[in-house]
Amino acid sequence: MLSKFTISNGLMWFFTFIALVSFESFAHGVDETTRTFLLNNSGVQIIPFMYIGAKHMVTGYDHLLFLVGVLFFLHRSKDVLLYVSMFTLGHSLTLMTGVLANIQVDAYLIDAIIGLSVVYKGFDNLGGFKYYLGQQPNPKTAVLIFGLFHGFGLATKIQEFQLPGEGLAANLIAFNIGVELGQFLALMFILLIINVWRRYPSFNQFAATTNTALMSAGFMLIGMQLTGYVIN
Amino acid sequence: MEQNLPSRSLIKATIISVVIAIIALVLFILPAEYNIDPTGVGKKLGLTVFNKQAVIVQTQNLETGSSKTMEDSVVISVPARRGIEYKLAMRQYQKVSYEWNTNDGQLYVDLHGEPKGDTTGYFESYTIATVDKMKGSFTAPFEGSHGWYWKNKTNKDIKIQLTFSGQYSIEGIK
Repeated sequence: MLSKFTISNGLMWFFTFIALVSFESFAHGVDETTRTFLLNNSGVQIIPFMYIGAKHMVTGYDHLLFLVGVLFFLHRSKDVLLYVSMFTLGHSLTLMTGVLANIQVDAYLIDAIIGLSVVYKGFDNLGGFKYYLGQQPNPKTAVLIFGLFHGFGLATKIQEFQLPGEGLAANLIAFNIGVELGQFLALMFILLIINVWRRYPSFNQFAATTNTALMSAGFMLIGMQLTGYVIN
Repeated sequence: MEQNLPSRSLIKATIISVVIAIIALVLFILPAEYNIDPTGVGKKLGLTVFNKQAVIVQTQNLETGSSKTMEDSVVISVPARRGIEYKLAMRQYQKVSYEWNTNDGQLYVDLHGEPKGDTTGYFESYTIATVDKMKGSFTAPFEGSHGWYWKNKTNKDIKIQLTFSGQYSIEGIK
């Protein structure tokens, strides 16, 4: 009986939250629906926080661009799994410690570094590091290190919510699980498109163009975030 | 695993990516995100609309005596699909009477207070409603910033006439 109640309660929250979520204008730094949610709730809220995490990942183009860069030349499932695990390990580590230890990092600077990670991966895919440094810096280490910065980026987003201490750890874990679910969902689409595209000759013809575009998008993110940092 | 471009192509790719990024930033992203529009293209395209600030149409001080009790009247425009705040700085137990109304439609309103110096984002709501007019009074339970958050859910700007009296100093639109 108890478990049934919990599940239906959770589902109710899930649907209520979906109904509430929309891109509203901001008040107090978080959007109105989130504000209302936080006003009316304290304590552990697993499903809503999972949803916020998943939504952030699926709509977080900076994380997705980086993943596109990382996955671009990976065609073995084993490699995909390995690299994605490195990224997950990196961002989970800093997400959890960043929020729990209340490490305050500037959101603009962190987002600029995330933009840099996109540029890095684009340049790496073009063979830039191999050419200039004579060898490619260990790509697994690079993914792990940039994963750490992406985690700090996620931490700043959840710190914006000014969560109460009560139930923070559980909510955070829920948020983190949501992030991974969202990432999994996004990865499926990215992999599907890349793997289908890989079969055609146009993949190799446009590989350089695609990675140049990736770098350009990364530079845009850097420019946007640094401007935000300067004027705020 | 990666491509190996000849160095000239590598430099070319990098330069092209930077140039495209700068063009996109200057023409579109900065105007839309921060209202920084050196070329004026953002404004022409209507991208700076995201940064349209709430405008105080007129502020009129009806009475400012030497006594502590004041009365002010202000017309505030809440832009379509946006929310704005109008706040008063008040000390604990200071009182304000207020009345506001509009002929342009209903607004979501949250009359609330935030303690001075608070950084946790805490606030206390006194009234939440969706109406086109409201009248009442409140006594500040703590020193801080007290006032209204209006959210315009319609597609056109809504003008409010707000009159208030009591003990306060105006912080205005936030």
